[in-house]
Amino acid sequence: MELKDKLEILADAAKYDASCASSGAPRRDSVDKDGLGATNGMGICHSYTPDGRCVSLLKILLTNFCVYDCQYCVNRRTSNVPRARFSVDEVVKLTRDFYLRNYIDGLFLSSGIIQSSDYTMEQLVEVARRLREEHQFRGYIHLKTIPDADPRLIELAGRYADRLSVNIELPTQDSVTKLAPEKNVHTIKLAMGSIRTKLDEKDDHPKAPTFAPAGQSTQMIVGADASDDQTILNTAQTLYGSYKLKRVYYSAFSPIPQSPSSVPSAPPPLLREHRLYQADFLLRGYGFTAKELMPQAGNLALDIDPKLGWALANRDHFPLDLNRADESMIARVPGIGLRTAKRLIDLRRLRRIRWEDLSRLRCSLKKLAPFVITADYRPAQGAASTDLLRRNLADAPQQMNLWPELQAA
Amino acid sequence: MTADALVRTGQPVLVETFAEWREAARELLVHGIPPDQVTWGAPHMGDLLAGGDLFTGAPAAAGAPHNPSIPPTEPLHPAPHIPRSLMEMLQSAACCRVPDRWAFLYRVIWRWQQGEHDVQSPADEDGARLHAMVKAVHREEHDMHAYIRFRERPEEAGPPRFVAWYEPRHDVLPQVAEHFISRMGKVSWMIATPEASVLWDGQTLHNTGPLVRDAADLEDTGEALWLTYYRSVFNPARLNTNVMHQHIQSDRWKNLPEAKIVPHMVSEAALGARKVGQYEAVGQRKGTTIPIAPEDAQPERQQPSKLDECRRCELWQFATQAVGGEGPRRAKIMFVGEQPGDQEDLAGQPFVGPAGKLLDRVCEAAGVDRDTIYVTNAVKHFKWEPRGKRRLHKTPVQREIEACHYWLDKELASVKPTVIVALGATALKSVLRTANVTLKNSLGKPLRHEGHWVVTTYHPSYVLRVPGEEAKREAFNTMVEGLKLAHELLERPVDVPDA
Repeated sequence: MELKDKLEILADAAKYDASCASSGAPRRDSVDKDGLGATNGMGICHSYTPDGRCVSLLKILLTNFCVYDCQYCVNRRTSNVPRARFSVDEVVKLTRDFYLRNYIDGLFLSSGIIQSSDYTMEQLVEVARRLREEHQFRGYIHLKTIPDADPRLIELAGRYADRLSVNIELPTQDSVTKLAPEKNVHTIKLAMGSIRTKLDEKDDHPKAPTFAPAGQSTQMIVGADASDDQTILNTAQTLYGSYKLKRVYYSAFSPIPQSPSSVPSAPPPLLREHRLYQADFLLRGYGFTAKELMPQAGNLALDIDPKLGWALANRDHFPLDLNRADESMIARVPGIGLRTAKRLIDLRRLRRIRWEDLSRLRCSLKKLAPFVITADYRPAQGAASTDLLRRNLADAPQQMNLWPELQAA
Repeated sequence: MTADALVRTGQPVLVETFAEWREAARELLVHGIPPDQVTWGAPHMGDLLAGGDLFTGAPAAAGAPHNPSIPPTEPLHPAPHIPRSLMEMLQSAACCRVPDRWAFLYRVIWRWQQGEHDVQSPADEDGARLHAMVKAVHREEHDMHAYIRFRERPEEAGPPRFVAWYEPRHDVLPQVAEHFISRMGKVSWMIATPEASVLWDGQTLHNTGPLVRDAADLEDTGEALWLTYYRSVFNPARLNTNVMHQHIQSDRWKNLPEAKIVPHMVSEAALGARKVGQYEAVGQRKGTTIPIAPEDAQPERQQPSKLDECRRCELWQFATQAVGGEGPRRAKIMFVGEQPGDQEDLAGQPFVGPAGKLLDRVCEAAGVDRDTIYVTNAVKHFKWEPRGKRRLHKTPVQREIEACHYWLDKELASVKPTVIVALGATALKSVLRTANVTLKNSLGKPLRHEGHWVVTTYHPSYVLRVPGEEAKREAFNTMVEGLKLAHELLERPVDVPDA
């Protein structure tokens, strides 16, 4: 099979992985050095495809042969898809060629499980080793970790890769048992735990060999099982707390060819995935807890973003006096973000905040109007019912709008 | 001639680079010349269009060759102190191609000098413009880092091996060149733009002035692979072109090789490929299932213990694993703690974290070998609540303690210790099966309970947490005493009443 044909099959097979970030790696450069590659910690999206997702890494599977039978996965053993397998050299060559042409920032390598977990992991590690040691490649490498692999292989993977990830796959243990019979939440958690332990060791002993400096991430498929957003956010919060994950990626289930009857035939609304990313961002950046965002079982509202949802449910905190409130509370106002909150605090050292400042700072005025007090403004909607406010502030029904900057953190 | 002299004689101040502007602005500031009296201009506009050198041109003192000599005047003010953050913003904004950039930058720095420090805030009118200019320049740098496409030249053609064409909106070529130097190492390349070009020969950067576009005509087989990749990673089921267009503005697309296949991809997706997230090209190939029996696909795993499968309460959901006891099968002393902590949860062993280290010290001080003691917890799963990205220990409630009795009973029945040392209140309540005991009343008073001696002492975490060195030492000693007492009790039969 030609390289082009393999690329076609194995890139196609990898497109269900939502992870695309190339950020978080330590600074490296190739000035006056053999080899190539640089990272500055930020990560760059080199292109966008018509599905609105960015291309920042060469995202491929080493092979889509797989002995597992995960019902949501197009590469499951009972799926009738064309199969292909790259040689280690082919992946190395593709990565370098694409990198030199400035198409990508590095490599994201995953694989179907062939022969055994250890054998598969060894192959993934070998690609990374050859890139790093033989070709002095200093770009970004993200390796998908096979949870059942020998911990020594995971340790080796962390030596070469910037980021490791182990997919949690589904939000609950029951769903994993049902839809991914060969996978096991217990071993997945243990693998994440072993990665966290290594990351902690590296923090405690800075002179130890590098280990996955960009941390670890995971992916959860949304809409393949019946779990609601409350369950999903609780799982995400558990994972962030327990394994110090950099990111949880949410991947709206895509219907697959000759789909088994155990998974739905229609995708969940992409807007649901988007709301989860917004809520996730509030967990990571704003100090919200899953319980605050989702006090009851159910899904996040689709017509309003989760922060507005929280503000409407907690009107006793508002209106908030921007000239007195602390930064973390200002950041909780709908329409004001972390950066704007900081800017308002900075400005407050010079003078009192006025309504016009909010407009210059490009806040979403319509959204914040009912929730803030400034030196010259006090909301008239103070007495308005929450229902009325919600109707005024809800998004007009429209095509979803993924925020790839949320995916890039 | 100095900038201030130029203004006094009614001439424009001609600057071309940020360094020149900074020199001139400093001169004007110390002479107290307000912005509305200065006319700014660029000296080399003509040369530039004819192919002059934009980046390494000799930065002569502002306007020096262009103006006759006028005697300088004494400065009125000391040189201003401009904070670095503002200076960096000014330097970035200077790359923004707006006709009044030098005059605007001078107005900003003048206002700062006058004490109007909110000029740096985006809430100020000038500040907002300054931020917008910086943002535009950073965006352009980012776009150029991202959307330059190098084409490979044949080896025999000699350097540069890679050539790119780009049309930057702002003057960002010098800093972008630095980016590609760090990225490409010793590989040679050239970036051509309408205004100027840079050539990296693997060691040195050369400025070559504007260059006729030739990059587009190169044959490059690598590009076909890129298009294959770009087409294949696209998921037609998620078609959403708005986001794509938001990120890559329309005038960027014309130089991106993938642009020419986008319309086809979009229409194919709209025509039905959307239904399945699999591309037609792949879908039409011959597929294979993997003939392997489900049992053979199962990885060999250690069987999870019964304890690991415990669902007697909800705590298992948030823990990594259950943590059972550890120690000799027939130990005479059993430590019962509260519950595993963050580190124990990851390691699957009791008392391996900071509290465990302290417990080691207590054993040492009491002269007892820890390896002779069976160590376990009243509750086997870690209970916690989120605090940012960390797990904060949370005390188990009675219901959870009761649910876990099942496991503690099994351990007691199998180890049959003579003395149980309850570490802390939770452990004590669990061991005595009652909520009506307090740690304080039980300290130093051994109890008989169901055929064991029960000694109560602090939990090691209390010793670590209690504020004040004195209190810490006291708590530590209490633990040592407790352990010594436990050791003594080994010699006292539990079923003989006290004399």
